[in-house]
Amino acid sequence: MVYTRKNQRDLTGAERRKFVAAVLELKRTGAYDEFVRTHIDHYSADGEGRLRTAHMAPSFLPWHRRFLLEFEKALRRIDPTVSVPYWDWTRDNSPASSIWGEDFMGGNGRRADLQVMTGPFAHSTGRWNVTYAMSETRFLTRDFGRPRDPVALPTQAQLDEVMRERVYDVAPWNSTSASGFRNRLEGWAPGQGNERFRIHNRVHRWVGGLMLGGGSVNDPVFWLHHSFVDLVWSRWQQRNPGAAYLPAEPPPLGDSQYRKVVARHQPMAPWGVTPAELFDHSRIYRYA
Amino acid sequence: MIVPRRVALRSLFALAVTAFTGGALGRIATRTPSGEPSGAPHDPLAFDEMYGGRRILGFAGPGGAPVAFVDGRPLHLMRCADGGYVSPIDHYESCPTPLAATRAAVDELGAARLSRFAAAHGDHTEPTGGSPRGVHA
Repeated sequence: MVYTRKNQRDLTGAERRKFVAAVLELKRTGAYDEFVRTHIDHYSADGEGRLRTAHMAPSFLPWHRRFLLEFEKALRRIDPTVSVPYWDWTRDNSPASSIWGEDFMGGNGRRADLQVMTGPFAHSTGRWNVTYAMSETRFLTRDFGRPRDPVALPTQAQLDEVMRERVYDVAPWNSTSASGFRNRLEGWAPGQGNERFRIHNRVHRWVGGLMLGGGSVNDPVFWLHHSFVDLVWSRWQQRNPGAAYLPAEPPPLGDSQYRKVVARHQPMAPWGVTPAELFDHSRIYRYA
Repeated sequence: MIVPRRVALRSLFALAVTAFTGGALGRIATRTPSGEPSGAPHDPLAFDEMYGGRRILGFAGPGGAPVAFVDGRPLHLMRCADGGYVSPIDHYESCPTPLAATRAAVDELGAARLSRFAAAHGDHTEPTGGSPRGVHA
């Protein structure tokens, strides 16, 4: 049975409560922290000479599609009516947006230590203790808009520009790929300061706090962000039915990307599933 | 099960910190008062300073990869294809040097200390295998 992922702004009060309750239950059992750990373990940068699966690589999109599916499967075991809503940050682009409500994601971090004090994921509730992160901080942190170097969320016009790409990805298949849908959407760009970080990356930078680093999954808004990134990919696939995942074949010996990226029919850790197998999600879920 | 593993990891950490910082301090000790290296090969990645109330220390490790510590705790600096560096604390701040990346990490850390995960993340290398830490989603 195909289920629907909705825009978070269209959820009813009851739907918001059910999503939050399922996430908190996953956290209580310890399963949530294993998702945090998986993300930490699969972040490698593209100047390190190692295989990259989750970021700075063509498999950025299918890796996160599968990651979301695993998370959603875990949520739906707790409550079969729940799916991962998406956050369209081109519309809901302010700290006052309802996504940050006390009954949903909670608000910004406080000035002194960036600690999120409101909503179900505030540390004071006793239900959101950060276990795996890059610092010993035990509470959720956010720093909306990066006040010391202000940045705005991506606009519809900027997203439209990404949607005009016609090829999935191009060599060298990393953060320096000058064109191609994947790197434009992931958001690595030349330039200085905020200009270097666009679309997907810029959203991580705008939320700030734990969303900046290896422990970004500790912020539940991670899932809503990546649900929208996946929606954008899905819409792009619809517009470009002939544009398959690239590279089709593994880069050969002698290529700078030899054994560093996942080709169309190669398995991705930790699931052993290939990008090709994740290309079509229409039999599992759809976007409203 | 968990406790002995943690203890073991901490001991390993302590050893690593001692070994690395010992080496770095040895190198620093060979510098003349003017700061110029005397005899020892110049390490362009070396730094040792107080920044934001933290002691940050860095040097070229095995194979020339940068090694950095914040208050004695290892910070994994990731090299990017554009030649810059990012830290596990902030993937979205690309810095031209290991020193700049370490300072940027301190800027984001606030009062918190680095965790053991900051020492080496993205720690898996096999295209078909799972994580060596045995993580499963």
